[in-house]
Amino acid sequence: MSDNQLNVIVICGSLRKGSYNASLARTLPALAPPGMAVKAAPGWDTMPVYNHDLHADGKFPAEVMAWGEAIRGADGVIIVSPEYNWSIPGGLKNAIDWVSRFKEVPFKEKPVALQSCAGGALGGARMQYHLRQCLTSIDALIFGKPEIFVSFSAKKFDEKTVELTDQPTIDIVKQQLLSFEKFIRRMNGRK
Amino acid sequence: MTNVIAICGSLRKGSYNRIVMNALPRLAPEGMQIKESPPISEFPLYNADIQNSTGFPAPVQALAEAIRAADGVIFNSPEYNFGIPAPLKNAIDWVSRVPNQPFVGKPIALQSASPGPLGGGRVQYDLRRAMVFLDALTLNKPEIFIGNCAQRIDEKTGKITDEQTIGFIKQQLAAFAKFIASYGGKN
Repeated sequence: MSDNQLNVIVICGSLRKGSYNASLARTLPALAPPGMAVKAAPGWDTMPVYNHDLHADGKFPAEVMAWGEAIRGADGVIIVSPEYNWSIPGGLKNAIDWVSRFKEVPFKEKPVALQSCAGGALGGARMQYHLRQCLTSIDALIFGKPEIFVSFSAKKFDEKTVELTDQPTIDIVKQQLLSFEKFIRRMNGRK
Repeated sequence: MTNVIAICGSLRKGSYNRIVMNALPRLAPEGMQIKESPPISEFPLYNADIQNSTGFPAPVQALAEAIRAADGVIFNSPEYNFGIPAPLKNAIDWVSRVPNQPFVGKPIALQSASPGPLGGGRVQYDLRRAMVFLDALTLNKPEIFIGNCAQRIDEKTGKITDEQTIGFIKQQLAAFAKFIASYGGKN
């Protein structure tokens, strides 16, 4: 491991144990290039449902603080999320809405890459484009291509172990991670 | 000097978006020069057979070269039927096929004016999506949506009359200059 290895966190948009997206997120550390270490972000599952009254005194819930700090401390963020009703899962949106209220929004100018798995043919594309729109509002540096849409995901993961088994998917994910590493270095090097 | 070109999505002479584009050089921060792009009006409708037989038409090459040479690109575009105007989409489609397509890594800023209340919000999100495919770097904020533009722009004098709009545009251009300085340049 070199000193300038990038520290990237992965946020999963699903809480379901057998989630394909969670499985893909768990696979990322092994698929990352040598210059990038990928770790799971703190959970957002215990965050209260967003309510301005809960931080009217300027204090945010501890789990919101922890999530925001992890994002702030990372060189880049990968969001791996399912699509719920053609859009961002409520739980993930709740977490984003929380940290968007920080005085210094942790997503600001943070390189962010997106991945999604879905049972249908589009592989979560509609969710990703909603997410891009939200991330524009909080001024993230959103990675472009290659995009990762794992369509018909039931065929690409092992039925029992939920492990990612589809080689073309593994290859394109590796490619995205490599391109994302370059993107982060280019963006951070020019700040 | 930061050299920026502006591409207007409307071909109409008296276009509100053209008026906004024409105002940009005077609203740009010091160190940023903004010029109109070569015209998109003479592009044939995109057809791969043309590029495969007689090559890329000269106006397409001119625009591609201008984008390549620029430090940043601004789109000034109306919204047609909730989407990107066909002349502009046609131009983007042509340029996207040029070898080493010039939008890669190129800083982009978006501005739109429309007579409706949203000021072209939907065209901008369509453009952002097309720019993802072209791997450009699109500025996030501030966004410029000039809603109810007939009340903010004088068609007769060809001037923006609304001071707040002028202020927003100046802010965006300043942010764009910073964005280009931070993230622009060749890979």
